[in-house]
Amino acid sequence: MQLAYVAKRCGVFLLIVWLAATLNFFLPRLSGQDPVREKLLQQAQLGGYVQAGIEAMTREYEQRFGLNQPLWSQYLAYLYDMSRLRFNYSISHYPRTVNEIMAEAIPWTVGLLGTTTVLSFTIGTLLGAFLAWPGAPRSLRLLMPPLWALHAIPFFLCGLILMYLLAFQLQWLPMFGGYTAGAFPALTLAFVGDVLQHAVLPALSIILVATGGWALTMRGMMVTTQGEDYVTFAEAKGLKSRTVFLRYCVRNAILPQTTALALALGQILSGAVLVEVIFAYPGIGTVLFHAIRENDHFLIQGIVFSVIVALGVATLLLDVLYPWLDPRITYRRA
Amino acid sequence: MPEQDRPGRLSRRAFIQAGLLGAGATALLPISVPVAKPRDIPRNRTLTLVWTGREGRWVDHELWNPYAIGANHQSGPGMFYEPLAYYSAFADKEYLWLAESYAYSPDFKELTIKTRSGITWSDGVPFSAEDVAYTLNSLRDLGPKVRWGVDVQQFMQEARVADPNTVVITFKVPAPRFFYFMTYKYDIGVYIVPKHIFQDQDWTTFKHFDVDKDWPVTTSPWQVVFASPEQKIIDRRDEWWAARAGLAPMPRVERNIWLPSAGEQQLAQALITNQVDYSTSLLPTTLPTVFRQNPKIITHSGQKLPYGYMDWWPSSLYVNNEQPPFNDKDIRWALSAFIDRQQIIDVGWAGAAEPSPLPIPAYPALRPYIDSVKDLLAQYNTLEFNPKKGEEILSKKGWKKDRSGFWADTQGSRLTLEIICTGGLGSAVGPVISEQLKRQGVDASFSLPPDFNVRFQQGQYIGALYGHGGSVTDPYHTLRLYQSASLAVPGAHLVNFTKWKNEAYDKIVDEVFVTDMKDTAKLMALFRQAMEIWIPELPDIPLTHFYHRIPMNTTYWKNWPTAENPYVNGAFWHLTYAMVLWNLQATQ
Repeated sequence: MQLAYVAKRCGVFLLIVWLAATLNFFLPRLSGQDPVREKLLQQAQLGGYVQAGIEAMTREYEQRFGLNQPLWSQYLAYLYDMSRLRFNYSISHYPRTVNEIMAEAIPWTVGLLGTTTVLSFTIGTLLGAFLAWPGAPRSLRLLMPPLWALHAIPFFLCGLILMYLLAFQLQWLPMFGGYTAGAFPALTLAFVGDVLQHAVLPALSIILVATGGWALTMRGMMVTTQGEDYVTFAEAKGLKSRTVFLRYCVRNAILPQTTALALALGQILSGAVLVEVIFAYPGIGTVLFHAIRENDHFLIQGIVFSVIVALGVATLLLDVLYPWLDPRITYRRA
Repeated sequence: MPEQDRPGRLSRRAFIQAGLLGAGATALLPISVPVAKPRDIPRNRTLTLVWTGREGRWVDHELWNPYAIGANHQSGPGMFYEPLAYYSAFADKEYLWLAESYAYSPDFKELTIKTRSGITWSDGVPFSAEDVAYTLNSLRDLGPKVRWGVDVQQFMQEARVADPNTVVITFKVPAPRFFYFMTYKYDIGVYIVPKHIFQDQDWTTFKHFDVDKDWPVTTSPWQVVFASPEQKIIDRRDEWWAARAGLAPMPRVERNIWLPSAGEQQLAQALITNQVDYSTSLLPTTLPTVFRQNPKIITHSGQKLPYGYMDWWPSSLYVNNEQPPFNDKDIRWALSAFIDRQQIIDVGWAGAAEPSPLPIPAYPALRPYIDSVKDLLAQYNTLEFNPKKGEEILSKKGWKKDRSGFWADTQGSRLTLEIICTGGLGSAVGPVISEQLKRQGVDASFSLPPDFNVRFQQGQYIGALYGHGGSVTDPYHTLRLYQSASLAVPGAHLVNFTKWKNEAYDKIVDEVFVTDMKDTAKLMALFRQAMEIWIPELPDIPLTHFYHRIPMNTTYWKNWPTAENPYVNGAFWHLTYAMVLWNLQATQ
């Protein structure tokens, strides 16, 4: 692989991150809302009472957050902070920093979304491959309509249906939260089981929906691959059906799926926001939802910037690592 | 040799396997941080409650310094900073706490507070007058940087320690309500902090949280043993100065779990299955379902309407008194006559509310004031639903209905009222009131804008639905909500959401401010004078009382604050939650 190619890709990566980060800075500010004043007044309203000096407090904290500075000055400070991955204080949770808040939530989201993405990819890809394979049991084709239907449903709607059936009506699974109230986090079997049990409903609502998507695209790729000359040649050679299926069809059809998987993994941080919200799952999705509602510029910026970087890194890695996955690809000059 | 098969290079198969393994391992990420496990406490000694949080998670679990701007005493810290005194508006009773006594100078420019002896902070350091003086002087110096800073700054000259149990506070102006301001009631009161902990800290960023150090340091019987975005766990300490002194019994609750709310449905389910004992208010439409499925759940009014108690926040339809035509009191009265409060109660609140003739809650200490203006209210009925009267007022002013049935002035401009609202009040009342006004020919609309608070506070609104965080014991704090200028409080920060201005009224409220809270005869006379101006002017249009419909579970705990036993209001998020904890008894 040429060093020049890697350097070029890294340059493109930095450019994309800068462009996206710039949008990320200006978009929340377009609303014209004053997050500091809103926060202070919201606090006051929670108590049903307006304490004296809200104006003075607003000025004080706008100064502290640098929101009294001209926009260009705020933008330069923002770029400097982003370059050091220091995202400032959260406006709505002051004096907690954006880094602290994200550090708490990211493991939950990565745990949930990482697992569900890989699981739905694996199940969906296998299902899709079998659905297109003539030798697969015919009963498997009955799965097509429900997979299509599920694929059309948003994650959160599926979550609400599952919550009603499995948690409210049947009471098989906990309704919300990361673990049982009163339980203490510890590396014990009981606690691990508790966490996994609480993850089942949100995970299921993602897997059921996402699996359909993976299956449908894999099925499409398999249909194309089965028409390739090398598959016809393999069949003509009298190779076992299983060998043709796995080594010739699936292996080639899976490549575009892998690209999509890498991008999906890059998007993990943006999370299934509404799924986390309805299940009160303590991940980054609920934090982002809250930050948008509170117009917490710094928290929105921190999360969105991390998503941008994660996506950029995933794409970059995919480009760099593709030769390992597909030996036909090389970045060496001919 | 192909590149991928060279020795020492990662093979494709190994790469894919490693990737899958890595992805699988992420499932265990959330449980990667073990903590020391606190002692076991049985369910029947645990009080589990649900408070708002944010989308089912705490965002302030590390903030136990209530002066940090992102912190809020409502979500736990209020339990840890005991006050100089408590006040129960329901019992109309003051409970001196860290203070043993207090006295004002005759001109109310000096206040002497005697603190109790024998109180220690949880780290063993004695509590003293130094802590009180330090808290007040710091608030004065910090001013707008922290909550209550400006309130203290505008009145207080200095707090000085006369001896270990005596603080002398001098004021810039007579301040007969300063001790009451510091007293805990509802959401108002000054949190007294430990000087030896806070003196080296920046109050605005100090979190005052470290389980290993047993922080927050407190005089209360509580200790934070665990706090995360999912839950705050607070255990009872073995010893408490107030129990020793016979002021209150040791709480029977040994563990208090604070959970963030994940939503009304989840909360109702958790109450039905006895997972939760106490929670934030439920909607009046949800409570009957909860009662049916778990008869052990009660509210302040048992299982009967209004399913709760009257909060200190009577609601009104505000109209911006600076914006024509609502700067005309007659237009305000016409709007009032078009509003059917009973329909608002029936439709918006499912029958679970009462109309409020004045922006003052009918609490024991305030009832005599409300009674004293009954004749004025008879003459100017602020609750009257009388569309004909409203039409007459508008017709006399030259308004006529246009072809579409809306009132229009002589220029043809419609009587338009855009109402902005927020929260539960907006969702319940907004659609009803806008429809009522439309049917009477007012071109009304309502919305729930995300920047409601800013627009309302800055007067960038035409109509709004909101309450009154004012009086609970004497009428001053409600009267001041309408003051447009004050001479008694130099540099006063005024509320005046309505933007109504009346010099005579302002002078009366200044006079109320310098009057002794105990001089009820004079206060009553001044209140009447103020109401003689306020009621005919009607700066905002009173609607209904506001209610806290708090479910309380009697499965594990009894002696909750109820209408039969109203020792305090039942809002655990208020600063008087400690009083509920003294009173709760275990059922098992």
